[in-house]
Amino acid sequence: MRTSLRIFFIGGMASYRALFHWLTPWILIPTFVVAPMFELLFFAFVGKDAGVGDNTFYLMGNGISSAAIPCLFAMGNTIANERYTGTLGLLLTSPARRLPLFLGRALPVILNGFCVSVVALGLGALLLHVSIPAGDWLPILAVTAVASFSCTGLGLVAAAIGLRVRETATLSNIVLGVLLVFTGVNVAVNVLPQWMQSVAQVLPMTHGIEAARELAAGRSLEDVAPLVRDEILIGLVFVAIGFAMLVWFEHDSRHHATLETA
Amino acid sequence: MPVIEVEELRRTYSSRTGLRRSAKKDVEAVRGISFEVERGELFGLLGPNGAGKTTTIKMLITLLLPTSGRARVLGFDVVADAREVRRRIGYVFGGDKGLYERLSGLDNLRYFAELYGVAPKEQGPRISELLELVGLAGRERERVEGYSRGMRQRLHIARGLLHRPEVLFLDEPSIGIDPVGARELRETVAALVSTGTTVLLTTHYMFEADQLCDRIAVIAGGSIVAEGTPAQLKERVADGHVVEIEVYGDAGERIDAVRAIAGVTGVAVEEGATSQLLVVRTSAAAQVTPAVLGTLDGVRLGRVATREPTLEDAYIELVRDV
Repeated sequence: MRTSLRIFFIGGMASYRALFHWLTPWILIPTFVVAPMFELLFFAFVGKDAGVGDNTFYLMGNGISSAAIPCLFAMGNTIANERYTGTLGLLLTSPARRLPLFLGRALPVILNGFCVSVVALGLGALLLHVSIPAGDWLPILAVTAVASFSCTGLGLVAAAIGLRVRETATLSNIVLGVLLVFTGVNVAVNVLPQWMQSVAQVLPMTHGIEAARELAAGRSLEDVAPLVRDEILIGLVFVAIGFAMLVWFEHDSRHHATLETA
Repeated sequence: MPVIEVEELRRTYSSRTGLRRSAKKDVEAVRGISFEVERGELFGLLGPNGAGKTTTIKMLITLLLPTSGRARVLGFDVVADAREVRRRIGYVFGGDKGLYERLSGLDNLRYFAELYGVAPKEQGPRISELLELVGLAGRERERVEGYSRGMRQRLHIARGLLHRPEVLFLDEPSIGIDPVGARELRETVAALVSTGTTVLLTTHYMFEADQLCDRIAVIAGGSIVAEGTPAQLKERVADGHVVEIEVYGDAGERIDAVRAIAGVTGVAVEEGATSQLLVVRTSAAAQVTPAVLGTLDGVRLGRVATREPTLEDAYIELVRDV
């Protein structure tokens, strides 16, 4: 039990450092701060001009969805990068239990996603002159953390696919696009076609973004509890799917030698 | 009880080509091999590229499932008891990869110590001990990206030994290392065996196998073609001699003529920078040498020497026709 906890916390952090140690400030700031800010400002100005929504609408949508960059790409690359460094075989022949081994890698990613969102929300609020009462920020940050968790669940699915295919960044790019369109980041979910609304209900971020907008509009955390609960549930489902896929693809890699041939 | 038991082990790789009318292609990498390794033994698997050495090791370390047959390590089945096998074995392979480049050597070892469940209190002393053993003490806080190939290989060895494995699998560990580094590596491996660790080694270097291995299995085309001590394998060609002739020019076209000489049992050409070395295995060097030189009439020759057969000669003889 103690070994598993150490693998979850210490091992998870060590692997994050091992795989993303190349992220110097010169790469980190443009990727995690500048690019999300351009996206936020672009959609806020276009949307405002078109009369679709106000600045708060775009701040909450884009601020929270900016967590998707680390949550999808960093999580997806936790396996793909092991393949690149030639350590994947060593990882899979270690006796470490797979649950703490793989899920421990999600913890720093969730933290990363949360920090990116917090910076985007803070900077965005300053640039767009969005005024939210100080007391409302804490529940908004709580919802941001939940959205980062659920999106990392989706990233875990991408990580699992990394055991089967060599390149996962393409997939993460497509999923990022899907989240941008379906989850109400810039266009409210209720104006999307019905089938897209149905898809949005099972995607991470949808309920988190809606909850954040409600909180920014003055609702309490209690009022948005069902939305937060759904966001957590979706995250848990994706974590379960991702972990099951990891276990299955690991077995498949031993059976079909896909670590060598994929 | 043997530490490693391999019975009729097979592994077939299947691949598909083309989207429409896709065709399935099967390659038999390992074709029903059997061998045993005793505790404290250093067992060598020798064979040319693609012979099935690495596939065999990958099955034994639980990275690949056998297509058929059975393998047990320390009494645990590599398929059914994979986790028990993993706890007790170490795996080291050659080459530049397999380390986290941007982390220090120390952090690499710390991470793998966690994965192998080395107790927190034991991690520090164990890592220090291993850094001393592999000669990396004092360099452990440097990033691995700045390490030489030899240093990386020594770090690989330290990583493989963190959890005090009873069995160590070394897959071409000395590949690409300079002679001094390779010698140090051999000394490290010999020291490990002297402490009771069982080692299964694959290598291309015959002198390495000759110097280190208690027993050797020669594998070619996925099958074991010979097994025994280095001395026993050498005895297979001990009744003959080897004539080496340095040739300046193209000796290739004369090979068939040399091979046709009575008493010649094998011919090989080793390419050098400015010359070729014609290696002629004979049953009786004294009688054959003049005839061989006769077939090379008109070709500028250098050194001509006769020597006793080595393990390499035995190896070439064994894998030649497979």
